[in-house]
Amino acid sequence: MNNPSISGVCKKSEHFSRRALLKGSLATGAGTAIPNWGGLFHSQSIASMAQKLGKRCILLWMNGGASQIDTFDMKPGKATAGPFREIQTKLPGYKVCEYLPKIAQQVEKLGIIRSMRTTSPDHPDGIYHMHTCYKQSERMPHPELGAMIAKYLGQTDADLPSFVRMGPTGNAGSGYLGPRYEPFGIERNGNMPYFTSPYLPAANESRRNDLLRFMETEHKKENSADAYESHRVAKERAWRLLKAKSLFDTTKEWPKHQELYGASDFGRGCFLARKLTEAGVPFVEIGQENYDSHADNFVCHKANMQILDPAWSGLLIDLERTGQLQNTLVVWMGEVGRTPQINNRAGRDHFIRGWTIVLAGGGIKGGVVYGSTDADGRDVATNPVSEGDLFATIYTALGVNPRTKHFVGTRPIWATPEGSKPIKDLLL
Amino acid sequence: MKNTAASKSVNFEKATLLWSFTWDADWVSAVSFIGDKHFAAGNNLGEILLWELPEKPEPLGESPSEKSKPADKSERPLYLSPKPVRQMVGHSNIINRLLCAENRWLISASNDHTVKYWDIEAKPSGMAKHVLNARTIEDINRNKNSGRKPPTPLETEVQTQAATKTIEGREWIIGASLSQDETTLITGDDAGQVAVYDRKTGAEKKRWQVKGWAFAVAISPDLKQSLVSERYPLVFDSGRHTAVKLWDVATSTVQHDLSKEFKDMQIASAAYSRDGKILALGRGGEGEGKIFLIDPSTGKKIRELSPIHQYGVTDLCFHPDGKHLASTGRDTVVRIWNIEDGKMIKELGKPRGGQFKDWFHALSFSPDGTRIAVADMAGYIHLWEFR
Repeated sequence: MNNPSISGVCKKSEHFSRRALLKGSLATGAGTAIPNWGGLFHSQSIASMAQKLGKRCILLWMNGGASQIDTFDMKPGKATAGPFREIQTKLPGYKVCEYLPKIAQQVEKLGIIRSMRTTSPDHPDGIYHMHTCYKQSERMPHPELGAMIAKYLGQTDADLPSFVRMGPTGNAGSGYLGPRYEPFGIERNGNMPYFTSPYLPAANESRRNDLLRFMETEHKKENSADAYESHRVAKERAWRLLKAKSLFDTTKEWPKHQELYGASDFGRGCFLARKLTEAGVPFVEIGQENYDSHADNFVCHKANMQILDPAWSGLLIDLERTGQLQNTLVVWMGEVGRTPQINNRAGRDHFIRGWTIVLAGGGIKGGVVYGSTDADGRDVATNPVSEGDLFATIYTALGVNPRTKHFVGTRPIWATPEGSKPIKDLLL
Repeated sequence: MKNTAASKSVNFEKATLLWSFTWDADWVSAVSFIGDKHFAAGNNLGEILLWELPEKPEPLGESPSEKSKPADKSERPLYLSPKPVRQMVGHSNIINRLLCAENRWLISASNDHTVKYWDIEAKPSGMAKHVLNARTIEDINRNKNSGRKPPTPLETEVQTQAATKTIEGREWIIGASLSQDETTLITGDDAGQVAVYDRKTGAEKKRWQVKGWAFAVAISPDLKQSLVSERYPLVFDSGRHTAVKLWDVATSTVQHDLSKEFKDMQIASAAYSRDGKILALGRGGEGEGKIFLIDPSTGKKIRELSPIHQYGVTDLCFHPDGKHLASTGRDTVVRIWNIEDGKMIKELGKPRGGQFKDWFHALSFSPDGTRIAVADMAGYIHLWEFR
């Protein structure tokens, strides 16, 4: 039997798989190898500079691509408008969708980019592009935003992973930065994969690990290659993660925060993201399914916004309340926008000629609406923003030079493509 | 096969498309006969127009504006479409349901959170101009490279009237239905509120909350039972929800929970037969457009109708003879079913080719059972006659 609730979305095979999500994040027979641990391999001075700023980033990933016209760039009275109505925000003259009432009250924290004009129209390429700012078709595997932030903002001596993701998110991984910056995937309620639970009593586990350490130390005397060392370090870090595992457990705290964030998986994930960034994790990505509404766009978006609105606004309120907001950049985006034209399935299709992304918090000027689309929302009217421009803005806000150069062999590669410019109007 | 309708004998197999009324300001989303000589249609903009059907219709000529119409999408109508005569002014969002009582009162349920009553015998309050093919002209003018020439504007002027009564809801009112005797109105909205009203006065008699958004609602002829289907259409998320329940109206308690039987199905349409012994349910969305006949006293499935609509069902309506059911959906066909044996006896309209080509949103039988009106999202109201 088909599930009616998943009709109208692209085929699942067109999206990244959960297997891809976990790939490389946790492995080994004992189940305790965590690749992206801290910043052991940081060597650049840029990393230490960025780390000093103490910046964090939370990416709210709208999987499938949310509709700009049904959220932040409404077109009342136009044929493209749809059934949602506007409500006034705290920003004079600026209105958002009626199903974002709580976000409307937080708009003074938001930098709203209404003029995204991007170049990858479908899910696999769009997800890759909006996570790396490079086209998927390039032969070089680029690292995604989280891996880059893990590299430059992660702490070398951290007990926690530096790149955590939950739910439906990106799939590009750490690319040329290497496996140490691969994401650590968990469920949105903080549950870790089953194999992270030791099946031996603590004392036995400890003795077993000591034995392994002894054997590896002996082995190292005769075998000093990097691969062996890397493997050993990964194990050490995995064992340290297990000691900090309780941080991921939100069971006791969640009932007290549920009202603020909304009783949903996504809301709980946002709360956990706040906890993790507070504890020092520099990058957390959390995904919300599923905005890919080629059919029944309006009921799909309405239901999603009822989850999104308290979760996102709750996160901003909680970050502010705990004094983290000024150092934590919150990014709201997906891989594409949605067409102004409403198709004959009551849906909106993928759209890249003029869509919306929202930034808030660390390094971003709030209460700013940047760029615009034309009367019907069919194209950007002013201030087009590319993928590279967006990433240059994000990196700059986080204290990372967007023109940072990396070398793969002898080939230089920059953090953002040539010509990318940060949006100065949005930066503090 | 001949069947006896409420007042006239009806041969469902011999159906003729009399008119295809053009109105493409936005999707035509609802339709209802008001007596045998009038029908009203609503659209996604919240507009409602009223048409009066002529005693002596004018054969369809060769005027360019009429010639290019739905002939290529379905079949060619016999007659030239008369223009609407009246507009009901007051809604500001999608009209989801139009119902009729006493062949005089039109009741509309809308995304603007209201139900409104309209007396078609009321004096008009003003006039308004419409171009019935405005969207087609606008689309062609915007896409100048298409090579198509815009058709002649179908201009018309209609009388306007305001609602005589407004019932305020809390969210989009998607579900609305009248009891067989037209004394009771039931509505369901996206806040999960189900409300039962005295139809004449609009006084609220009962209200209860369901977990999801109330989708299809129906009330039994004896007024004792109601069907409420629920949805919360999240995708790939643990918060998604569907339910199908039969409720005791007097106590607002669940009599039969059919949710397991209809797991993951969004039931978009429901209708009780005239004798109350059968409840028809239609599965909506883009999945298989299945239609189920239920025994409302037990909640047990009597049969599933076949063939299914290619995509979801949008509306179900029992014929006045009590022996037949009409269904329509996202495949732009109308089917007439014999309830007793579950056989399909007639299909009207044609699927429009390719994947996902338009919907028929709603249908309505004339009180004498000889005609059926169908709301077509492509910007038409089709009216077939059975003889």
